[in-house]
Amino acid sequence: MNFLAASIESLGARFVGWFGVGYGLFAFAGRAALLLLDRSTWNRATYDVVIKQVYFTAVQILHVFLGYALVISWLLITIILSTAREFGLTEFATEMTIRVLVLELLPFLTALFIALRSGSAINTEVALMRVNNELDALAHCKVPPMQFEFLPRLIGGVISVVVLAALAGLLALLLAYLSIYGLTMAGFDAFTQTVAKIFDFRIVAGLVIKCALFGLAVTLIPVVSGLETPKKLFMVPVSVLRGMMRVFFAIVAIEVLSLALKYI
Amino acid sequence: MNTVKSNPFHFKVGLFVAFSLLLLGAFLVYLLHARGFFEDTYRLKLAAATADGVAPGVPLVFSGIEIGSVSALGLNDNGGIVINIELLERNAKWLKQSSTFTLDKPIVGGAKIRVDSPDLKANPLPDNSTMLLLTSDISKEIPVLVERVKAILANVEHLTRKDGEIVATLANVQTVTGRMTGEYGVLEGVLGSPEKAQALTDSLDKTRDLITRLDGLALKMDGMAAKTDTWLFAEDGMAAQTKASMIQVRAMLDDAQSSLKKADALMANAVEISSDVKEGTQDIARLRAEIDEAVRRANALVNEINKKWPFARDPEVKLP
Repeated sequence: MNFLAASIESLGARFVGWFGVGYGLFAFAGRAALLLLDRSTWNRATYDVVIKQVYFTAVQILHVFLGYALVISWLLITIILSTAREFGLTEFATEMTIRVLVLELLPFLTALFIALRSGSAINTEVALMRVNNELDALAHCKVPPMQFEFLPRLIGGVISVVVLAALAGLLALLLAYLSIYGLTMAGFDAFTQTVAKIFDFRIVAGLVIKCALFGLAVTLIPVVSGLETPKKLFMVPVSVLRGMMRVFFAIVAIEVLSLALKYI
Repeated sequence: MNTVKSNPFHFKVGLFVAFSLLLLGAFLVYLLHARGFFEDTYRLKLAAATADGVAPGVPLVFSGIEIGSVSALGLNDNGGIVINIELLERNAKWLKQSSTFTLDKPIVGGAKIRVDSPDLKANPLPDNSTMLLLTSDISKEIPVLVERVKAILANVEHLTRKDGEIVATLANVQTVTGRMTGEYGVLEGVLGSPEKAQALTDSLDKTRDLITRLDGLALKMDGMAAKTDTWLFAEDGMAAQTKASMIQVRAMLDDAQSSLKKADALMANAVEISSDVKEGTQDIARLRAEIDEAVRRANALVNEINKKWPFARDPEVKLP
């Protein structure tokens, strides 16, 4: 009986914990969104941090990222094409390629890429700032960290993920055309028809929203997780670990939700 | 504001953003073009007996390339099906007044409406026109096909049943070919048993021997007749010979005659032996005719000699 009560209690504690985390996240996102509406937010300093964030998240890794997207796209396109030819379903290869790569896989991989590279860095940075009392110092100097540290990171993350996913998608489209039709314009009409069929307004809007949510998840969750860090230096790795786990769950949840909305 | 310091960042990010925006803008324009934002939509109505398998989104295919799709479908006042198809203006050039529209429902893959325009120089189909939709449904033809195949299989089964004609024929063929592989080959196969084939082979061998011997005999006869001629008609020949010599000649000729008669008898025998061999019989009959001829000629010769030599009639030569 004690055992049952204990397990129910632990379940309840875990649920409350998850709920608290979720609430913290959404409360933070809400505050950030409210701040966006505030005219004082749109100043030069914030803008500079946004530019910096975009530079470090997207521009600095652009060549690596595009190379990685190229290899992944080329591999998957080749696999899809050869399988489609084997089963005599070549006419569906173009659509399959676009749907798998441009709509699902590349945005997902982009989010993972940014999460691993920038998300973990943001989480560590915020956790260290908190442990070292830098945030309190900033607030004391009338430099609200939300406005000058966190919000620019969120905006930069969203812009980075959306743009990188879009660039990778365009690259995959080009690669798909070249793989299927070669260096001719012969298949352009058929390809255009397929593209037109797939990219209706709903799909494009869904893709953009999904990428924006990915960008938000890979920056917002690390920031919140860093802010939750107890003021002890050895708690920083634990904070990063928790933050990255949450980022991963959030990315998967967004992907599953988008698929469910699209196909069910 | 420390603009100089942040310049490299700004420049690179600006380049990145400008480049990305340019690409995305180009893609957006391409997408709008692909979706026909810059051109008119061409509408087509298809009248069909049934809407089975047709739904909004079903493609309109020309030469394997999708040029439009079904936008809506519904019933008209007479209970017929009206299928609305939308396609872009640039694709409408493939639709001619002589075009036929067929609903294809392949076993694998979704249904599609196929356009066939045999004459691309025909007059274009005007906007909003109504055409008839034909149906070619493979899945409906399958039961008919299966029935036919079943009938064919039943026939085959009937033909190949255990006591059927084909089985019996095959058994006979087996017997014959079995015999053919025996010692006497095809002959055994035709005649039915090795003994009969043996008898035929034997009689053929005998006939061959006989013919060889008869050939030799006929040659001898010819030689003898020639010699006799030389003897008798040479200028310094037999005129001066004595009656005894002539009697000898005559005896020789008689002898020849008798031996020819013997050959004749032998010949008759041979014909009897080989009576069941058609070809052999014919050859032997011809040979026999030749021998008969020779005998006849020999007889005539003997007669002639008797006529020319009067002493032969009167063996006693009276000297003056």
